[in-house]
Amino acid sequence: MAMITFRINRYNPDDERRGHYVQEYALDVCKGCTVLDALNQIKWEQDGSLTFRRSCRSGICGSCAMTIKGVNRLACETQVLALKSPNVTVEPMRGYPDIKDLVVSLDPLVRGLLAVRPYLITKTPPPSDQERLQSPEERARLDGLYECILCGACTSSCPSFWADKEYIGPHAFLKAYRFVADSRDEGSREHLEALDDKHGLWRCHTIFNCVEACPKDLNPTRAIGELKKELVRQRIG
Amino acid sequence: MQYNDTVRSGGALWWLLHRISGLYLAVILFIHVLVLHVLTKEEITFDVIAERVSTPLWKTINISFLAVALAHGLYGLWVILDDYVHAGWARILIWGVIAVIALVFVVYGSLTMISFQYGG
Repeated sequence: MAMITFRINRYNPDDERRGHYVQEYALDVCKGCTVLDALNQIKWEQDGSLTFRRSCRSGICGSCAMTIKGVNRLACETQVLALKSPNVTVEPMRGYPDIKDLVVSLDPLVRGLLAVRPYLITKTPPPSDQERLQSPEERARLDGLYECILCGACTSSCPSFWADKEYIGPHAFLKAYRFVADSRDEGSREHLEALDDKHGLWRCHTIFNCVEACPKDLNPTRAIGELKKELVRQRIG
Repeated sequence: MQYNDTVRSGGALWWLLHRISGLYLAVILFIHVLVLHVLTKEEITFDVIAERVSTPLWKTINISFLAVALAHGLYGLWVILDDYVHAGWARILIWGVIAVIALVFVVYGSLTMISFQYGG
């Protein structure tokens, strides 16, 4: 057990005069305890007004993405003692509109995602007697692409997104490439259409913040590079 | 603030040209270092350089280097500014200033190179 001070960035939309402020909570934290466990304990035992999103507590839903000690992480996958600090700063993810305390609006995330048509597009009818099959090699191309949980950590860490709130975002690029790389997909033009845009692919400057921020260790920058090459092939031949 | 559509960076062709020009600059720089600092055994003086620069081959290389370096660098600058300048009038102004800088330096540099003569 160790006494840890949590410095939580708070904001109440009903108290605009106060704006954002930092509130400290001291907590005895046990080995293996995650930041989400600590936030739950604070909310249940110290301050019921503290607001944050959480759902699966297993690193699958992406709800509890937040900025912990300056880095975008999932609260449920971040062990407090592994941060090796008596003080832990917790903030809402940057770049998104704040709703309350650690809860941000993910509207920009959804807008970017829908722009790339994030679903399998087929033009030929499926075989009548079986599914659309893939070889193990074709399936393996999707590794590192399909695992995205849409937590928004990557896009929140992206300077291009900070500068342009309509920027489609690395999460959507990764998702677009997940379908462009899919052997069953026949709609790469449709997926890429929105990307060749002033808010699209060309605004990525290969800064790699998205790679560092991804709690699933995925590589949106690589996907963006592949999509740029694909767009060049389509546009120039 | 809404983006202005009048001028913008990006597009597959520009992205590709930026990569190709970067590659060209790397090759020319390698040739420059190789010729000047490895293959040139004599002492590097004005006469040595001027004699080389006055040949048509080096004039062509230097003019192309100037044009490609300006295009590559100024386009890179425009791409960065494009992120942060959203107002229509400011974007047109910056784009115009960059285009004028490129034109002035390419014309001035090319004239200097073409008219440069040394010795006989």
